[in-house]
Amino acid sequence: MPFKRYVEIGRVGLVNYGKEYGRIVVIVDVIDQNRALVDAPDMVRSQMNFKRISLTDIKIDINRVPKKKALIEAMEKADVKNKWEKSSWGRRLIVQKRRAALNDFDRFKLMLAKIKRGGLIRQELAKLKKENTA
Amino acid sequence: MKTILSSETMDIPDGVKIKINARVIEVEGPRGKLSRDFKHLNLDFQLIKDEEGKKKLKIDAWFATRKTSAAIRTALSHVENLITGVTKGYRYKMRFVYAHFPINASITNSNTAIEIRNFLGEKKITAMQFFDRLSVPCFEVCCAKCMDSSVLFQISSVSYDTCYMQVRKVDMLDGVTILRSEKVKDELVLDGNDIELVSRSAALINQKCHVKNKDIRKFLDGIYVSEKGTVVVEE
Repeated sequence: MPFKRYVEIGRVGLVNYGKEYGRIVVIVDVIDQNRALVDAPDMVRSQMNFKRISLTDIKIDINRVPKKKALIEAMEKADVKNKWEKSSWGRRLIVQKRRAALNDFDRFKLMLAKIKRGGLIRQELAKLKKENTA
Repeated sequence: MKTILSSETMDIPDGVKIKINARVIEVEGPRGKLSRDFKHLNLDFQLIKDEEGKKKLKIDAWFATRKTSAAIRTALSHVENLITGVTKGYRYKMRFVYAHFPINASITNSNTAIEIRNFLGEKKITAMQFFDRLSVPCFEVCCAKCMDSSVLFQISSVSYDTCYMQVRKVDMLDGVTILRSEKVKDELVLDGNDIELVSRSAALINQKCHVKNKDIRKFLDGIYVSEKGTVVVEE
């Protein structure tokens, strides 16, 4: 019930609103009650309101406002990219992106694949049912 | 201004079991079980274990205004009262105070109600039935010191068989018992686990004996709370 993910220096977050939507950022300093200084390897360090950030479970070890090089080193050390892509949240986002980028032919292929999968599942289920009643 | 985090902790003694679920606190101890619901407060209640392994109750308020931070300590005090209620119990003692007319109290209903008579010498009569279908409405015989009755109306050939005395009756709340103290004259003892119920029962008795239409600096009669303590007294 108590909170587990805290806003702190080194907390990795996901931007959930605005121009930088979907980007992974690191909280690098806290400006005041509502805003944080936020940084990522491929972006200019800037301020962001906490309401635009969703906190993740990942935290890295940095000092307050590190230089870009130090930040990139710390992120490599903590292996943020892989941890994110392996986490269920990260995987879900990747799948959503893929689905949104399908063209019509891909959707057709997807439909066939789903039907085939459904057919296989039903076959196995019928087999199990037969074993049970027999 | 909103304080980012304000919190306070409190020790929980051994021998008391506390359960917290969704801001409803249940306390269980040697004298019974009490529960209290804090859903009107926006606070985080947590049970934590200290370094030495002692159990503590921690209350957090995030981004709290002044009033919310104040509520933290009052919630802790309420829980403390629950704990002492369940381990030591609460005992409130009340004394009868009267100048001329002794207050006559009888405890009924297996120690859960009290009837008060002769407060300030009053005899309030209601429902006198004279004949079968004719019932005469009440008239009051007033006055404390001189027994003069002001008769408001008269009916010829009056003969009454039954006359009911109006008595001041107070029912104790749930789990509160009342008894007349043996050794001390004119004392009532109210016992219970929940401080809110015990003190409210005492207040109900006190309020039933307010003096009306008189100078209360002179007519000091009543039943007053004389002592607030616990049932189990530690030396």
